[in-house]
Amino acid sequence: MYIQALGNISPQTDFNQLPQKVDYTSNHLKAIDADITEFVNPNIARRMGRIIKMGVAAAMASMKEAGLEKPDAITMGTAYGCLEDTGVFLKKLVEQNETMLTPTNFIQSTHNTVSGQIALLLKTHCYNNTFVHRGFSFESALQDAIMLMNENDAAHVLVGAADEITDASHKILSRFDLYKNNVANSEELFSQHTKGTIAGEGSVFFMMNKKSSEKDYAILKDVTTFYKPIGNHAITDRINKLLSSNGLSINDIDVVINGKNGDVQNDRVYEQLEENIFSGKTSITYKQWCGEFPTSSAYALWLAANIAKHQQLPADKTNRSIKHILVYNHYQNIHHSLQLVTAC
Amino acid sequence: MEKLMADLKAQIIQQLNLKHLKPEDIGDDQPLFVEGLGLDSIDALELIVLLQQEYNIKLANAEDGPKVFQSVRTMAEYITANKPA
Repeated sequence: MYIQALGNISPQTDFNQLPQKVDYTSNHLKAIDADITEFVNPNIARRMGRIIKMGVAAAMASMKEAGLEKPDAITMGTAYGCLEDTGVFLKKLVEQNETMLTPTNFIQSTHNTVSGQIALLLKTHCYNNTFVHRGFSFESALQDAIMLMNENDAAHVLVGAADEITDASHKILSRFDLYKNNVANSEELFSQHTKGTIAGEGSVFFMMNKKSSEKDYAILKDVTTFYKPIGNHAITDRINKLLSSNGLSINDIDVVINGKNGDVQNDRVYEQLEENIFSGKTSITYKQWCGEFPTSSAYALWLAANIAKHQQLPADKTNRSIKHILVYNHYQNIHHSLQLVTAC
Repeated sequence: MEKLMADLKAQIIQQLNLKHLKPEDIGDDQPLFVEGLGLDSIDALELIVLLQQEYNIKLANAEDGPKVFQSVRTMAEYITANKPA
């Protein structure tokens, strides 16, 4: 599957401007404000919450870059869905004693609102599926796109992910000690070796093609997911299996993008792999730029596609020869995924 | 009536999230739906709730909707005529 075009609305969106060190003002990394005025008239945009704007802006940017009017299918993943509208609706439900409820927030609160809005704006009735599988949401959307192409049901698939953090959800998730309380910058995120990470959000969309084009960023060769692997060996087996099924070995991998997020327990999984199968590999992290959230692996794929196209690592202008990139991420050591990306 | 219409314009902008408009952009007799402000059926429900929340007026007959919500002026007239004592 060829990655032809990208759209990204996240805390950091310009591959060429990714900073070595990111300064944080809180433990919640917010996505940039999505400007959808180019794509949507204000009368329609007024009902869209932040996540819808993020998703629409990312999707439309990738459509524009691809130069396509309509895809053959839309698949996307979201773990949290449209939290902001859900929160507003539930708040009104309680405060107004279940009376005088208006439809706007309710109809914008379902998980498939983002992909529905994209379809409405593109005026397409094509296949449209939103996957809500926590840390597997984006990978499920990718796998669906691969199957659609393999079965010749689609040649151009708009694939993406979107998740938002609201003040309310951040407060609730903080009760589980998921986030660090004092983290001033990305260096501290990884050097503190304490519990917790930094919350993130964002939306990334990809125009995936069955056939190659001149504009392609990279090839997404394979995607796999595995649930609660027992020990390091189980993960290593999965990595070797994925690589061998694509005619590769770990020696062929030039860059590993890992999902370290600064949480000491979370990162131990990656560190153990770095001591073994990933030993000696160029390994980079990405969550210092986008934060931790269940569909952050879409951001990792965006990064991998850019690395493959530019033949440079982020925040490093050195020209390199990079052929194969392996993205390995896990969400809370429950949902593990691998994405294999190859330069064109 | 003028004060009520000014209040209504601000409330409509707030309730319907018409951030791109200012109260003075809405004419007293400008149609609210379709060719006027471009509101739709979801907005009609929002306006019904606005009448209930802000003025404690329940639209007794749904068929009156098109007349009542024709413009800011017709809404203000309806509120004046149906204000609870």
